[in-house]
Amino acid sequence: MLPKEKREKGVLVLGGGIAGIQAALDLASSRIKVYLVERSPSLGGRMAQLDKTFPTMDCAI
Amino acid sequence: MDAGRHPNIEVLTNSELTGLNGRAGNFRAQVRKHPRYVKEDRCTGCGQCVEDCPVVVPNEFEVGMGGRKAIYTPFAQAVPNTYIIDKDHCLNEEFLVCSNCATNCDRDAIFFDDKGEDVEIEVGAVILATGFEVYDTSAISSYGYGLYDNVLTNMELERVLNASGPTQGHIVRPSDHKPPKKIAFIQCVGSRGEGGEAGCEYCSRFCCMNAIKDCMLFKQHEPDIEELVVYYIDMRAAGKGFEEFYQRSFDMPEIKYVRGRPSKITEDPETMDLIVQVENGETGEIYHHRVDMAILSAGAVAPKSNEKLAEVLGIELDGNGFFSLDTKYGSPLHTSKEGVFVCGCAAGVNDISDSVAMASGAAAEAEGYAAKLRVEEEPVEIKELDMSGPPRIGVFLCHCGINIAGVLDVEGLKDSVANLPGVAYVENNMFLCADEGQRMMQEKIIEHNLNRVVAAACTPRTHEPIFQDSCEQIGLNPYLFEMVNVRDQCSWVHTNHPETATDKAKDLIRMGVAKARHLQPLYRSKINITQSVLVIGGGVAGMRAALDLDAQGFKVYLIEKQGRLGGMLNHLTKVYPANLSAVDLARTMVEKMKSSRVEVMTSTELNSISGFIGNFDVSTTNGDFKVGAIILATGAETYKPVDEFGYGEYDNVITNIELEGILHEAKDKIEIRGGVPETVVFIQCVGSRDPEKNAGCSRYCCPTTIKQAVRLRENGVNVVVLHRDMRTVGAKSEEHYRHARALGVKFVRYTPERLPKVIGNGKKANNVEILELALNRLLEIPTDYIVLATGMVPNQTSNSHLHEILKIPQGADGFFMERHAKLGPVETTTEGVFLAGCVSGPRDIADSIAQGSAAAAKVACFIAKDKVTLDPTTCTVDQTLCRACGQCVEICDYLAPSLTMISPGVMAAQINQALCKGCGTCASWCPTGAISSLHFTDEQINSMIDALFEEQKV
Repeated sequence: MLPKEKREKGVLVLGGGIAGIQAALDLASSRIKVYLVERSPSLGGRMAQLDKTFPTMDCAI
Repeated sequence: MDAGRHPNIEVLTNSELTGLNGRAGNFRAQVRKHPRYVKEDRCTGCGQCVEDCPVVVPNEFEVGMGGRKAIYTPFAQAVPNTYIIDKDHCLNEEFLVCSNCATNCDRDAIFFDDKGEDVEIEVGAVILATGFEVYDTSAISSYGYGLYDNVLTNMELERVLNASGPTQGHIVRPSDHKPPKKIAFIQCVGSRGEGGEAGCEYCSRFCCMNAIKDCMLFKQHEPDIEELVVYYIDMRAAGKGFEEFYQRSFDMPEIKYVRGRPSKITEDPETMDLIVQVENGETGEIYHHRVDMAILSAGAVAPKSNEKLAEVLGIELDGNGFFSLDTKYGSPLHTSKEGVFVCGCAAGVNDISDSVAMASGAAAEAEGYAAKLRVEEEPVEIKELDMSGPPRIGVFLCHCGINIAGVLDVEGLKDSVANLPGVAYVENNMFLCADEGQRMMQEKIIEHNLNRVVAAACTPRTHEPIFQDSCEQIGLNPYLFEMVNVRDQCSWVHTNHPETATDKAKDLIRMGVAKARHLQPLYRSKINITQSVLVIGGGVAGMRAALDLDAQGFKVYLIEKQGRLGGMLNHLTKVYPANLSAVDLARTMVEKMKSSRVEVMTSTELNSISGFIGNFDVSTTNGDFKVGAIILATGAETYKPVDEFGYGEYDNVITNIELEGILHEAKDKIEIRGGVPETVVFIQCVGSRDPEKNAGCSRYCCPTTIKQAVRLRENGVNVVVLHRDMRTVGAKSEEHYRHARALGVKFVRYTPERLPKVIGNGKKANNVEILELALNRLLEIPTDYIVLATGMVPNQTSNSHLHEILKIPQGADGFFMERHAKLGPVETTTEGVFLAGCVSGPRDIADSIAQGSAAAAKVACFIAKDKVTLDPTTCTVDQTLCRACGQCVEICDYLAPSLTMISPGVMAAQINQALCKGCGTCASWCPTGAISSLHFTDEQINSMIDALFEEQKV
């Protein structure tokens, strides 16, 4: 077991897809500590799998 | 992805919540970090281990179409970029001895004994953003998914279309690797079903638009394509700009839309072609359509993991496995547990832009419980290095593992740089961005008295801020740093031509060094922010935004043109999906407003606004004040029919909004204008989906009609709904549509080419005539009342007034434009000004509430800090050269330049640094050369051009 670090109180966000990341960024920019917990090994969720998004056809990643 | 780098975000991947106790404002969360077997602080993501790993398994990210190793990162741009070992497939077990990855890892990052970690975190609130899973299409056996090679899902197609996907973006059919000519898309696979094998009962919302987009991409990739046929039930292009996007696809004759749900797909065993058996829903004709490939538009289902999470959180799931909402406040963000919020697809399926708005909204709600927890940002004082004297340039060449060094001759590059004028030091490094590389760079800057730095590495888009920070930490002005992208522009794009790629890298680096010789230090300025907000409009969106900001402790002014708060709520009876009383909802919100500190000004209009981000001077008919940010929540109007469908001519033709009023007044018996109706006919899309009146879909009218039809039907009224597509998107809408059909509400389709005709005499309409499509004959429906489902249109007068004051761009539809259709739904291109609710497009109550909260979150991002930092890479005017022609004032999109009197009788341009984006348009336009674009001056750019051609002269 690794030693426990002291963590500041903040907000917990479960899920690191587009919604979770957006919520985390907004909180963090408002000077609130965020813990972003994701089940899979990386962030991005479904949107990272998409090619382009309508209607602007921007790259999804 | 910025989330990985933000100092206030700790990312815990490969982790899950195992416990939550305490109450809103004071939760204790237990999180289990599952073992990764690779140390995050050591792994640089070089990829050596992947080459050495002997195990290949299907890649989940490529939906099984490509392969990956047992040690892997899910995809190239993954955050974090640390590798992970898939223990189920790894050959390092008690009795197996493979440890190739560990042996060859230069950084000793592999850690087979990793047991993971349990952490406990104190949090004020929890946001659920658990997303969705793709419906398992193999459950519908009649479509042959998994059986026939050429049946793909929409998610598989996304990867095939992507240049970094398993086929490098070439579209081939899996059976014979030939480009397909005829493709069928099958909609609602796993959605709008009857449960069980036939799929979920709800509509998955995104698949219609996804199919339209994929058809258009297909056509772009393969111009020779012969046929793209979409088999659908209703085409649900319901969202801002969606209908217009759908209409645009009609310009491509290869794309055809056929109404019908195929019964099965079979395969021709010889050619591997597919035969789609389908009944045309309009003509009743049954036919067999031979195609090369079939795409199943798979719907979304709730992740299995929601069950365990629901138990941990103590929140119930709905019948579909999504988190249940507390509908009390009409909000789509609140769960039954105080302090726990949902966004995205956690409580039901939503598309990307709504998910983003909900996410910001959930952030605002969570901030209500966490506002006291704001962390202080400590100012750091650093002594600046001496930057005077001739340029002493340090050039750092990054190998990026094998990304750069695998293609370019890095030693040759080093030699070519060493003798360039001004270069005092050159060094190569395996991973310059890693902590170790950055430390080395800092040491060399100090050791060799370097006063300019060039990094030849990857993309400045993601890495320039990292290098600039490292310079700044040791006191070197960050604008004395220049980045050259030799990865994306050389080694990646010219992988097969290492020599010419190296030559190109030499040119680019020489240009970077030339620019570095002319770099000048620039300083970021800070301006103070007024920590208060103006909300314009007192409807649901405006009130929600004001309440959220008030809960976070900010000063809020709300102005409303009308004499009372409530907006559209005051004209409604029940609000779907939960059939909440509009009056109750309005009353609850207005009471909350009264008990809040929000300064509400009704019967108040806006006179003018001047200033810029953080510092707006507002003048209203009820006094003047100063604010730091502005939210526009002025709503929209319903379309007013003029000489259409007998409206205004016959007394018994009314609009859906007039019916709302009638239903609201009705007690036990429904009376419409003095009569008790036996039959009511609804006509949909009045003032919507019509390029001459309003091209867009108004989105709210289909669910509203369902709500009204059910109410009438429950009172014994015969109801017929005439429609083009029933677009019941949104929470529980499809289920309500199903309920209406079960109650006996009749739905008859019409086409825009043959609109329903209202026939009557005197002041009374008697019949509606409609062309029945399946029978191809005219039907006359006798009726007592006709209800026109009117669309939502922008409030022209108020929007043009606001446009004049704030210069926010309006779309072709007259609604205000958001910064980005997907990623910035409540932001505008003007910093400090935000949108909420119907001011940017038609929306229902729930979506407007989510937008109100989202706008509050975005405002908080600004005003939670007392200062805003301005980027110094802006434009500046040499007033001695300026002749005050005013062309810069005309050309600027951001209102940054203005003409002022600099001495008696002498005018000159000046640029407001807070408004300037540094785009350089004015600098290139200026006829006298008085304007220059800092960090991209003519001198700097010219020196780069000279450096490029210098070599070619030799």
